[in-house]
Amino acid sequence: MNEQLVTCAALTKRYGGKRALAGVDLELGRGRIVGLLGPNGSGKTTMIKILCGLLQPTEGAVLVDGQPVGPYTKSIISYLPDRMYFADWMKATDLFDLFADFYKDFDRTKAMSMCASLGVTPSDRLKSMSKGTKEKVQLVLVMARKAQLYLLDEPIAGVDPAARDFILSTILTNYNEEGTVLISTHLISDIEKVLDEAVFLKEGQITLHDTVDNIREREGKSVDALFREVFRAANYEGGAF
Amino acid sequence: MFGKLLKYDFRSMLKQFAFIWPTALVLAIVNRFTLDGLDSTSSVGETTAGIAMLVYVAILISMFIVAVIFVIQRFYRGLLGDEGYLMHTLPVKPWQLIGSKLACALVVTVVNILVAILSILLIVPWAASDLKELFEGFQYLFAHWNIQATQIMIAMLEFVLFSLASFAVGYLHLYLSMAIGHLFNKNRVAMSVIAFIAIQVLLSILGTILARPFSDLIYPAFSSLDGMPAYHISMWVLIAGEMILAAVYFVGTEYILRKRLNLE
Repeated sequence: MNEQLVTCAALTKRYGGKRALAGVDLELGRGRIVGLLGPNGSGKTTMIKILCGLLQPTEGAVLVDGQPVGPYTKSIISYLPDRMYFADWMKATDLFDLFADFYKDFDRTKAMSMCASLGVTPSDRLKSMSKGTKEKVQLVLVMARKAQLYLLDEPIAGVDPAARDFILSTILTNYNEEGTVLISTHLISDIEKVLDEAVFLKEGQITLHDTVDNIREREGKSVDALFREVFRAANYEGGAF
Repeated sequence: MFGKLLKYDFRSMLKQFAFIWPTALVLAIVNRFTLDGLDSTSSVGETTAGIAMLVYVAILISMFIVAVIFVIQRFYRGLLGDEGYLMHTLPVKPWQLIGSKLACALVVTVVNILVAILSILLIVPWAASDLKELFEGFQYLFAHWNIQATQIMIAMLEFVLFSLASFAVGYLHLYLSMAIGHLFNKNRVAMSVIAFIAIQVLLSILGTILARPFSDLIYPAFSSLDGMPAYHISMWVLIAGEMILAAVYFVGTEYILRKRLNLE
């Protein structure tokens, strides 16, 4: 087992002429909840997609548990994308079958009990489910795994504040405590209380990576307040207000 | 892991074709009886026979159209659309994802052809004596098996193999076109169609250029042969050609999915 769970070195991603990530160096340890924080378009989703193998970096290297991205790293990563990935004809139970087949760490019993507490009927066809219910199914799939690394891309962006707490508590009560959770969001006040570490991403570069306690101590303010300050300043400078 | 992928691709195939395959066979049996109506003088019998035949033919044709749509959709939606977020984060290699889709597409094609053949056999009003004659015919064939029979068997196998390879080339041509189309950030479907045509054009240009040197190369080998050996060799040359083309398409598609994946 490698000491660092995630190591990114000089990670760069260009889309045509646009740079989404510009030389990111990042190390993440185990057993932490990390916020990947930045405004829209700062490279959060690109970062997560590279970690789970949906994008190839233009330059730089990524190691997850000491291995380059591939079948092994995919087997220890549990990824919640910012969209639905279901085939219409499936039922939630079909997806449980699929996850149980492909991921050794998927706990079917846990998935069923999570469904019960979230009010989802797993034998319903996904086609007939509401958007909110489908999102819950996806959350169940991701959190019923005992993964080493959870990559949660904007898990609370599209829902109302009450549902946010609900989703966060589902994440907190179900994640594997030896693993690390990386949550990307721009809604910091909602998740600040659960974070151990914060990573600020600004125009594809990391401007800050520290524990939440250190940040509060040093800056004398909450991460949310600091975030507003850092990224508002950026707006003034750019004149894009 | 490949077996597990196949399991899920076959499951979606069965969902798609669970209705159409049995329907084609049932309609064939219906036609078996309504066809008698053509002999009768009643116009009712004739109309019924006509309609039944029309529906049967329509189902048979749609079976093959649905197959092509299925092959395109399972690849485009399953690997390049939103479902790709699930499939490409499974702990499998990209070639396994493509291979599983291709295997499933070939099985759909083979079952379609078998269903079509079986349905035609069902329509024919076999009498007991016909079956007896057929059976005796086969008995005779096996009792008097000779080199010609073996040759014909091998020739048939070669034809089946060649057909399978051709279907694989056709489907991989579609896959590669879609993979190229998905590299663009806009108009992906249009770009896939353009890629499809471009590959076709490129192929025919290559064919024109290579035809002469190729025939010069193999002509001496053929001039000393005649009959069945020449036939077998040309079949294997054709099969090898299709296999090479299939391999090129497969490698190209795999490269794009592994190195250039660009999900929306």
